[in-house]
Amino acid sequence: MSARRQIQTKRTEEGIALLISIFILLLISIVAIALIVASGTESSLAGNYRSATGVYYAALGGLEEARGRLLTNSASSFKSTAPAGFLPSPGTALQLGYVRFVVNPGPGDGNVLTTYLDNNYLTEFTAGPSDTKTTASIWTSPPLNTSLNFPGPLYKWVRINAVSEQWLRQGLGQDVFPFDGTIDPTPLFYDGTKLTDDPSSGSQVLEITSLAVLPNGSQKLLQYLIAPGPIALPPFLATLTLSGSPGNGVTFHAPASNSSYAVKGDDYNCSNPPAPSGGNPHAAIGVLTDSNSDIVHVKNGIPTAYQPNYTGVNNPGPYVPDVEDISSSFLPLSLQSPSNLDGLAQSIIQNADAVVITPASSGTPPYLGTATGAALTPLGMSSTNPLTVIVNGNLDISNWSSDGYGLLLVTGTFSYDPDTNWYGIILVIGQGVVHNSQNGQNKQINGAMLVAKTRDLNNQVLAGSNLGGATVQFLDGMGGTGMRYSSCWIQKAQPKGKYKILSFREISQ
Amino acid sequence: MNLAPSDERQHGFTLVELLVALGIFLVITGAAFSLLGTSQKHYQTESQLLTSFQEARLGLDQIVRDVNDAGYPPPTFWDGVQADSASSPFAWSTGAGYPPPGSCQIGTGGGGTCTTATAGDTAPGDFDLIIETNPNPQDPSCVPNCHVQWIRYQLQNTTPLPTLMRGVSAKTNGDPDTITAGQLVPFVQNIVNTQVVQNVTNPLVAQYQAAYPNIFPGGAPVPIFSYTCDNSSPPPQTVLCLGAVGTDNSPANIRDVMITLIVAAPLPDATTGQPRLVMLNGRGRRINPNQ
Repeated sequence: MSARRQIQTKRTEEGIALLISIFILLLISIVAIALIVASGTESSLAGNYRSATGVYYAALGGLEEARGRLLTNSASSFKSTAPAGFLPSPGTALQLGYVRFVVNPGPGDGNVLTTYLDNNYLTEFTAGPSDTKTTASIWTSPPLNTSLNFPGPLYKWVRINAVSEQWLRQGLGQDVFPFDGTIDPTPLFYDGTKLTDDPSSGSQVLEITSLAVLPNGSQKLLQYLIAPGPIALPPFLATLTLSGSPGNGVTFHAPASNSSYAVKGDDYNCSNPPAPSGGNPHAAIGVLTDSNSDIVHVKNGIPTAYQPNYTGVNNPGPYVPDVEDISSSFLPLSLQSPSNLDGLAQSIIQNADAVVITPASSGTPPYLGTATGAALTPLGMSSTNPLTVIVNGNLDISNWSSDGYGLLLVTGTFSYDPDTNWYGIILVIGQGVVHNSQNGQNKQINGAMLVAKTRDLNNQVLAGSNLGGATVQFLDGMGGTGMRYSSCWIQKAQPKGKYKILSFREISQ
Repeated sequence: MNLAPSDERQHGFTLVELLVALGIFLVITGAAFSLLGTSQKHYQTESQLLTSFQEARLGLDQIVRDVNDAGYPPPTFWDGVQADSASSPFAWSTGAGYPPPGSCQIGTGGGGTCTTATAGDTAPGDFDLIIETNPNPQDPSCVPNCHVQWIRYQLQNTTPLPTLMRGVSAKTNGDPDTITAGQLVPFVQNIVNTQVVQNVTNPLVAQYQAAYPNIFPGGAPVPIFSYTCDNSSPPPQTVLCLGAVGTDNSPANIRDVMITLIVAAPLPDATTGQPRLVMLNGRGRRINPNQ
């Protein structure tokens, strides 16, 4: 027993080392914890900044996707990828109360419109949406979510809707041009410089709003107002505009044996068949020239008996046929140089819905290939789907018994026969030659046509400041009822530029 | 009775043993406390620096947000009322040509023509910026309706170290420079980007700058705000405003605002006595159009 006590006594005397160890360990632990807390705060500060920046760009990614897909010539445009009726048909505005969503759910999000409610809409508008349609984001559609499996931005949805004067200034309303003193509940438009509520003077303004939510809960709501930037077209001062200049005479030859062939500058509407609208009349044939001999030359191309068919702004009177020199009002005057007019054609080409490329020809200069009407058929043009179509080369639509809608730009020779109605704008800028090889049926061109020679036989832009002489040469026996000016169809056929950002803001939540 | 075990139990430590044990204990404890003391000083310094960092980070975030929103709503929303839309994303003094189509040239080091009523200060400039925007249009507390505001960031010389001030006032027909000047309140303290603030030299900043030659190459001041502008001549690109020519170098044309905040901890390092600095960089990008 005494031996055991002795051992116990010795054991208790050894405890001082343990105590010191525990004490030191405690001190070190305190220091370590303090350092960890300090560095943890620093890390979370940096983390907050990273997630705030990340969520900002995620929301911006959503806005940019919607802005890009609104373009009709985008590969993943809403027109070709979204359900029918997602966007209104060209020429008509998205109604107020109609709301379109691009949804981009992440794993486990389910229906993002219920998981992440759109609380913002009712703060901007007094009533909820009257019509809602959704489409998938490109990030949740093939090939990005299948074969490529590319992780996209973490935005949840993008809302697209129309805005009105009532919406402006946070729902308090604001009168915009034309200042009529009333706060209208109608869609807003953009005319290139300012907002307006006049639908005839610009493109519709759309509001797009994007919500991004990161897994750590960071949220961001960003908003754009956007509208297509207008592409400046040459002014349409006449139903048929022809280029001419001193030394480069213009050629016009009407069908001599067709009493029905008429070129009328009176304004026609968009009904089918087009009827006089009572709008401002324009010249029947306008010539860009400062030489009276060009005017006389064009008049001489019209059979005397049928000259009363060419009516326009100065009708009735001594101006029948109504062939006029419009060079002084064809503004800006700089457009009457080959390089500027050709440059304008190039800007239209860059924003076209479809470009038909013709193979180079080994025949005669300017070695342009020829496309036929068959190249236009697959485009699916219709009165509700007018397109901007470019033919880089010659176009021969003889015997093409379909109708065309929109803007047609031909850089080579345009062979037209009246088997086709064209509704919209026809620009023949480049070689500036129009003729026919078939007499065709009794159809017509509704809108306006401009024929200008800006290139020489080697397809090089003409040097100097004078346009070449346009050539419109129809066979005597050609059918058709000619051309009618239609401001309505000219408006519908306007090409759309890229969507411009009119305003941007971050919405506080 | 056998007393031997009892005698053994009474054997304690000798005095020498006790002194040695106590000595060892004191050495270890002293070392531990000294470590603790050093750590505490470090912690104190670090936490002060962290507070400065946190203040500067919050400030930087706010500046970036304001710059991102600059110019809302743009001039295309014009309804005839000055305060309903921004005339330009970034404002300058009426004396220097505000509003558009008037303009001024952005400079650095007090150069350029965007001068203000304060000597040695230009807005927009290296240490002064006036943003024109409607910062929170949907805030329900913004009654009856928030108009466009001028938000100004200006570096002022305060004691002991300069302070970045922030002020907000409603856009009117008056001078953005003089109207916002009366609204400025401290925003981020202890900014040491420059020794000379509005023509007044702060001697303490010189010590800070001398201790960190890498942050201040050649002892030159580091602008808080530097700018890029849209280049109008093709190809379209963004260039430093200082290198832009003609009207490209103007406040209305600013695209990015690069922000550099160099912030000092309120007290120097407790162990070394060296000043402690932290540098933060950010960038705000104006998206709203300027016309």
